Amino acid sequence: MMRKSLKLACREYKATVKSKGFIIGLILAPIFMGGSLIAFALLKDRVDTRDKNVVIVDRSGVIAPVLLTAAQTRNAEELHDTKGKKIKPAYVFTITAPEAEDPGAQRFELSERVRQGAIHAFVEIGEHVVHPGENPDTSRITYHAKNAAMDEVRSWMGWPINNELRRLRVTEAGIDESKVRDLFHWANVEGMGLVSRDVQTGRIRSAKRSSEIEALIIPIITMMLMFMMVMMNVPGMLHSVMEEKTQRIAEVLLGSIKPFDFMMGKLFSGVAVALTISAVYLSGIVFVVHRMAYEQYIPFHVLPWFLVFMFLAVVMMGAGAMALGATCNEAKDAQSLTLPTIMPAMICMFVYIPVAKEPLSSFATVMSLIPPFTPFLMVLRQTTPEAIPPWQPVVGLIGVVAFTLLVVWFAGRIFRVAILMQGMPPKLSNIVRWALRG
Amino acid sequence: MDVIELDRVTKQFGKAVVAVDNLSLSVPKGSVYGFIGPNGSGKTTTLRMIMNILYPDTGVIRVFGAPQVGACMDRIGYMPEERGLYKRMKVRELLRFYGELKGGRRVNQAVDEWLRKLDLSDWGHKKLETLSKGMSQKVQFIATVVTRPDIVILDEPFSGLDPVNAEVLKDAVLELQDQGTTVIFSTHDMNVAERMCDFIFMIHRGKKVLDGTLNAIQDQYGCDTIRIRTEQGASALQNLEGVDKVNDYGQVQELHMAPACDAQAVLATIMSRTAVRRFDLVRPSLHDIFVRIAGPEAREVNHDA
Repeated sequence: MMRKSLKLACREYKATVKSKGFIIGLILAPIFMGGSLIAFALLKDRVDTRDKNVVIVDRSGVIAPVLLTAAQTRNAEELHDTKGKKIKPAYVFTITAPEAEDPGAQRFELSERVRQGAIHAFVEIGEHVVHPGENPDTSRITYHAKNAAMDEVRSWMGWPINNELRRLRVTEAGIDESKVRDLFHWANVEGMGLVSRDVQTGRIRSAKRSSEIEALIIPIITMMLMFMMVMMNVPGMLHSVMEEKTQRIAEVLLGSIKPFDFMMGKLFSGVAVALTISAVYLSGIVFVVHRMAYEQYIPFHVLPWFLVFMFLAVVMMGAGAMALGATCNEAKDAQSLTLPTIMPAMICMFVYIPVAKEPLSSFATVMSLIPPFTPFLMVLRQTTPEAIPPWQPVVGLIGVVAFTLLVVWFAGRIFRVAILMQGMPPKLSNIVRWALRG
Repeated sequence: MDVIELDRVTKQFGKAVVAVDNLSLSVPKGSVYGFIGPNGSGKTTTLRMIMNILYPDTGVIRVFGAPQVGACMDRIGYMPEERGLYKRMKVRELLRFYGELKGGRRVNQAVDEWLRKLDLSDWGHKKLETLSKGMSQKVQFIATVVTRPDIVILDEPFSGLDPVNAEVLKDAVLELQDQGTTVIFSTHDMNVAERMCDFIFMIHRGKKVLDGTLNAIQDQYGCDTIRIRTEQGASALQNLEGVDKVNDYGQVQELHMAPACDAQAVLATIMSRTAVRRFDLVRPSLHDIFVRIAGPEAREVNHDA
């Protein structure tokens, strides 16, 4: 009867990959998934180039002139590209004498000007900014704008202000700054991998620099790829079964093929589609990364694991999706059952950051050995620079295989009963009864 | 030889609904067997159980003498009541798919032959979604028979067809029978059942209420029906002694006589009221028998009992 399953799978596969929806989805899925990154890359230079007028209320009397000078230098050097096109806004600072008697009224008046758009922001520098005393209010530097937290002027001015404060303090201490430059040198703690020995030559190999790309980005991309494979296939399987049930195609097919073979045929097709998509994406990624000379970051040793776990994830969740799809009587049912179907993938998305940061923690280990999560989290852990114990992927794989077989078996029982059941809502009690009794 | 045997088969849905109740049935090889019965009486459930799509709770179903139909699924063609076709597939492509799924090899020739026979040759390369309902139904029929199965099960094959297409399909069914195929079909059209079926089986509330040839069934009721045409129509037929019921068909009326009623006395009474243009003493039609079993009056009787 495998022949019939394959025949059905073949038809489904051809119908899927030939459709315009598939081609469009193939292109759009990574765009949606990485949409924010792409948008950021495309729009990063599209900044507001209008001048930023900022009023300085300098109660210390020593910082404002420095800011003016720094801003003039910046405006002269950074505003235009090589073709003379303005690419950044000019920072135009104006100094205002501080109101001694009623500073609150002055702040309100300046705030009103910001609200009206007359100025972009105002900055107030505390009287004792050079020598902060016990009262922090008199040494604060406050920046007031409509969206101060994200304001680039505020970020920019930190550097010239602190440079000047340092210079003033060193000078007051009677020290020649040029002689104590090392005092201000910031030492980085570099992240490095472990030193290893070449098995053939016996020579010690230097440790590789550990980067964020290796530590987080590669695992996350791998995990997202797995997530994408599931999201592009599993909900589709649910809806496809529901459609074939409601359009009565299922009953016609059941005159030729047993329900379990019918389900397996659709499952094979889903897996074949997932493998096709992953082949396209993986080839694309390898090609792009190779062109960018970053191939050292591709974890080729994890690729076979990725493919095996992806296969199992699609079979496991696809079987569940088809069983649930068979219980649906209308599109509304299918919509409400989509979330439970993809729940394992969603849960993995919620926990992937702590797992990627601490892949050897108890939490990461336990989560990655729970079969519904194993395909996602084990691959995620395997792609981090940390060496996870070799037994864990093997145990995880055995667990997923056993769990997948169990899911397929139960799904087959539900599918057989539910696919012809009309008018009975997909209630949990019914689904459990069908799973247990067949 | 019986190709299908049902032995005390029962199928229940939930606790309340007994769809098929202790049903026994034998379908001889090469016969055309008609399943009739009101909506929800258990026809489709019975057909689905024969196809092994549903499993009986109790009882045994044998097809070709074997208790499991799964192994010989390819020898049975099944057309469900609701038509289910992949609308985006092309007709010829779809028929080839169904044929090959059924185990057929080199089905192209058979597909072309059937398309020609059912006047669909010009539509072979068209998508299903462009076909009319009648055409889709014919395509579904071809999908059922394209591999020349030994048994063909058709659930309501004639519903929704215009008279021309119904005639085409009827000829195709009879041609299958000529070639030795056993045909089972369900229908609500009593005329079709009367004219086409070697055997008629009626199921009502899950129980078998009729089973046999048309003659045998009608013999059970005897000549208890007067088919009459008069000058004054149904108005002249009120309150006739010995007549249980008058069915008015407009041009013709049918009178059901009570047991021991004298037809000559009834005729004499009617002639005293109006001129009689036609008077036949006949056995009840299948339609009449159906209504007597499943109609409102029967339900009242059953309810009272």
